[in-house]
Amino acid sequence: MKVKSRRFMAVDILYILLMVLPMVCGIILQILTKPPTEGIEIAGARIFFTIPMPLQDLPITESQVNSFLVVLTILGFALFITHGISVEGGSRRQIIAEWIVEVTDNMVNTNMGEYFAAFAPFVAGIMALSALSSLMSLLGLYPPTSDMNIVGGWALLVFVLITYYKGKCGPIVYMKSFTEPAALLTPLNVISEIATPVSMAFRHYGNILSGTVISVLLAAGLQGVSNMIFGWLPGFLGEFGWLRIGIPAVLSLYFDIFSGCLQAFIFAMLTMLYISGAFPQDEFERRQRLKLEKQKTIK
Amino acid sequence: MQNLEVISLNLWQILISLANLIIIFIILKKLMYGPVRDVLAKRQAILDGKYREADEAKRSAEESRALWQEKLEGAKDEAERMIKDAASTAERRGDKIIADAKERADGIIRRAESEAELEKKKAAEGVKREIVDVSAALAEKMLEREIRKEDHRALIDSFISEIGDVK
Repeated sequence: MKVKSRRFMAVDILYILLMVLPMVCGIILQILTKPPTEGIEIAGARIFFTIPMPLQDLPITESQVNSFLVVLTILGFALFITHGISVEGGSRRQIIAEWIVEVTDNMVNTNMGEYFAAFAPFVAGIMALSALSSLMSLLGLYPPTSDMNIVGGWALLVFVLITYYKGKCGPIVYMKSFTEPAALLTPLNVISEIATPVSMAFRHYGNILSGTVISVLLAAGLQGVSNMIFGWLPGFLGEFGWLRIGIPAVLSLYFDIFSGCLQAFIFAMLTMLYISGAFPQDEFERRQRLKLEKQKTIK
Repeated sequence: MQNLEVISLNLWQILISLANLIIIFIILKKLMYGPVRDVLAKRQAILDGKYREADEAKRSAEESRALWQEKLEGAKDEAERMIKDAASTAERRGDKIIADAKERADGIIRRAESEAELEKKKAAEGVKREIVDVSAALAEKMLEREIRKEDHRALIDSFISEIGDVK
């Protein structure tokens, strides 16, 4: 193993700080600003302040701040993992980086085809953003994915991409694609087209939010049961939610870790399938061929 | 502090989140996928070069092996031919030597024979002369007088011839 220079180490530490500090800042912010809650309370993200904007005011909420922190973390991660990579390889982080790139490349290739090879970082970005946002709840932070606006933004971008690739062969082909397989089905096709981003956003947001809701309900329920069983104990011992120790962790394992990662995977998978499914590949290739032939005849 | 409604839509928040995703995409593309793919492509190029070199080396080795094989075969043939040549030359020379020897032996035998013949003749001649002398002496004694050899030569000769020519 090569001896790393002092400078290299310093930059490494900087990147690690960039990776870790956003989360620490998030936790500090949470501690400083979150008021103590009593009983069952299910609410959206807290609003820090509101910026007046045309059409609609822009409230800067927890989910906005937290997703920005996730972006910073991913930036730190990307910088850290590619720091000092070389053709010879050998370092552990380079193996991980190459593994990530190869896995996502393979995934995009098998699900979308060669034409969409440039989508690998996009898909990886969706996965990283979604998974990290959901996993933020492990740190006790508000997971941005349980805010519909955040997931809605991603779904909107996916919708734009779908429409872009659908219209790749001109507006006529785009319009015609709605009358497939029969002209009678046009209204249904339009509805399903609009339903795509909506269902994507609702699925993701609903899954994460429902996890939070169930966790809150369970915590409250367990508190009640605990009070009933241990209420006869004097003072603090009677009020303490004994049953809240340990049991919620099992649910948290499912809702915070499993569900969060699964939804990230599903969102990325659906993105790939919808975009590649919207692209009229045969028609596009036929046109490319025609164009090439025309160019040849002109020459 | 206020809270957002659980289900609420805000255009600007949606747009900011959309922009966040695009930023993440650009970050990953420029800072992670770009360099890693670059490194992978370079490594692939180096590997390809190495493979090509190895193939080249193998091919040239194969070539020289075939060349040497050919040469070896040629050398074997040459050696065989040389041995055969030498054997035939030796045989020929041996035959010639034997033939020469036979010839010489034949010559010697012939000469010996002729010499023997000559000796025989000489001996016969001697015997003849002896006989002549003896017979002359005998005749002399018988006739009591000297016979002049010279005078009776012809007579004696004919006499001896009558007795039998010694061959």
